[in-house]
Amino acid sequence: MTEARLFHPLTPGAELLGDWFAGRIPLNVVAGEGTVIDSSFCFKHFYSAREVGLKVGGRTTIWRASLAADEEAVIEIGDECYIANASLVCSELISIGSRVMIAGGVTIADSDFHPLGPAARLADTVALSPVGDRRRRPAVETRPVRIEDDVWIGYNAAVLKGVRVGAGALVAPGAVVIRDVPPGAEVAGNPARVVCE
Amino acid sequence: MKENIPTSLAPDVGARRHLEHDWYAGGIPANVRFAEGVYVDTSYGFAAFHSECAVGLALGDAAGAYDRTTFVVGPAGQINVGAYTVLNGTYIVCNGRIDIGAHCLVAWGSVLTDTWADAAALPVALRREVLRACAADPARRLPAFAEPRAVVLEDNVWVGFDAVVLPGVRVGRGSVVGCKTVVAEDVPPYAVVVGSPARVVRRLDADDTEEERKRAVREYAR
Repeated sequence: MTEARLFHPLTPGAELLGDWFAGRIPLNVVAGEGTVIDSSFCFKHFYSAREVGLKVGGRTTIWRASLAADEEAVIEIGDECYIANASLVCSELISIGSRVMIAGGVTIADSDFHPLGPAARLADTVALSPVGDRRRRPAVETRPVRIEDDVWIGYNAAVLKGVRVGAGALVAPGAVVIRDVPPGAEVAGNPARVVCE
Repeated sequence: MKENIPTSLAPDVGARRHLEHDWYAGGIPANVRFAEGVYVDTSYGFAAFHSECAVGLALGDAAGAYDRTTFVVGPAGQINVGAYTVLNGTYIVCNGRIDIGAHCLVAWGSVLTDTWADAAALPVALRREVLRACAADPARRLPAFAEPRAVVLEDNVWVGFDAVVLPGVRVGRGSVVGCKTVVAEDVPPYAVVVGSPARVVRRLDADDTEEERKRAVREYAR
């Protein structure tokens, strides 16, 4: 009997041995030595059609995460990161440095998913509905998110579009980050404020 | 295969109907009404649906309940969901009445509840009574521990991920509740509320006219 294994090398195109989800690692993934993932379920909402839609460095650990990517999206993750039970929702670019810890329940998004204006939003509900045409969804603004090296992001925090989290910063659990975080700062709250420089 | 999946939370399984694509054996309760074009990912969301009303949940034309959308409904609970509304992984707790309008977007992790209470209204003795009653019930129904107060999302409301809409709240037409915002008071129409505590940070144009709605239904459908 083969021993059940939680982690598998992140290999483009691979069907993971013993994967509970009937999927594969997409072909447009590039990953360094020693980077692992638990299941192809992480790619359930990965629709990137870019030549490289996900680029990961070496010795990074990804599990129970959702790597949701639109057709034009690129997700970049550095070396020795740990990403567990987080959602990365990407329309354009989410760039994560090296040695970044993303704790459970975190959401990182480079758009707000829907238009803010009531009429455009209403049209989006129709396009998204079971009888709708998703290709006609109204455009939404996207702004890349950048998480620099050595950042730690606490449980259930959210980092929203256009935000740059500076190197070595700490995002407290539950924080909703809508503005840039200076390097080395700690932010907390909704909306997040600097609590420690 | 499906016999292996426990359905103990759904004792009246005989009256239920099954979705073809469903991984869960529980089925959709008989008093749930689907209008034309409705889509529901799984009946797992109805495992704690105990409404005894003639219609416990009505989903309007082309409405959808996706992912982990869950309906925790007591015997007197009634939920109405308007046309084209997207319930994308929301948790709805209803012992009285929850009305969700048409063209609403309700994101993952959000909670809409007509039943909650503060400490003054729920002394420890009563809390214990509630949980003991639940533990003694083979179906593990959580009794309504507070007087339900109706929740209303008017048409074209957007509730962001992980937001909470508390009992008695009415969110006005076209408004947006930001992610992780806890809403304890009414939200006026065409407002954006965010933060903790929730506050109005922006007003929106009331441009979602009936004409616009008709145009959207015409142009954005397949």
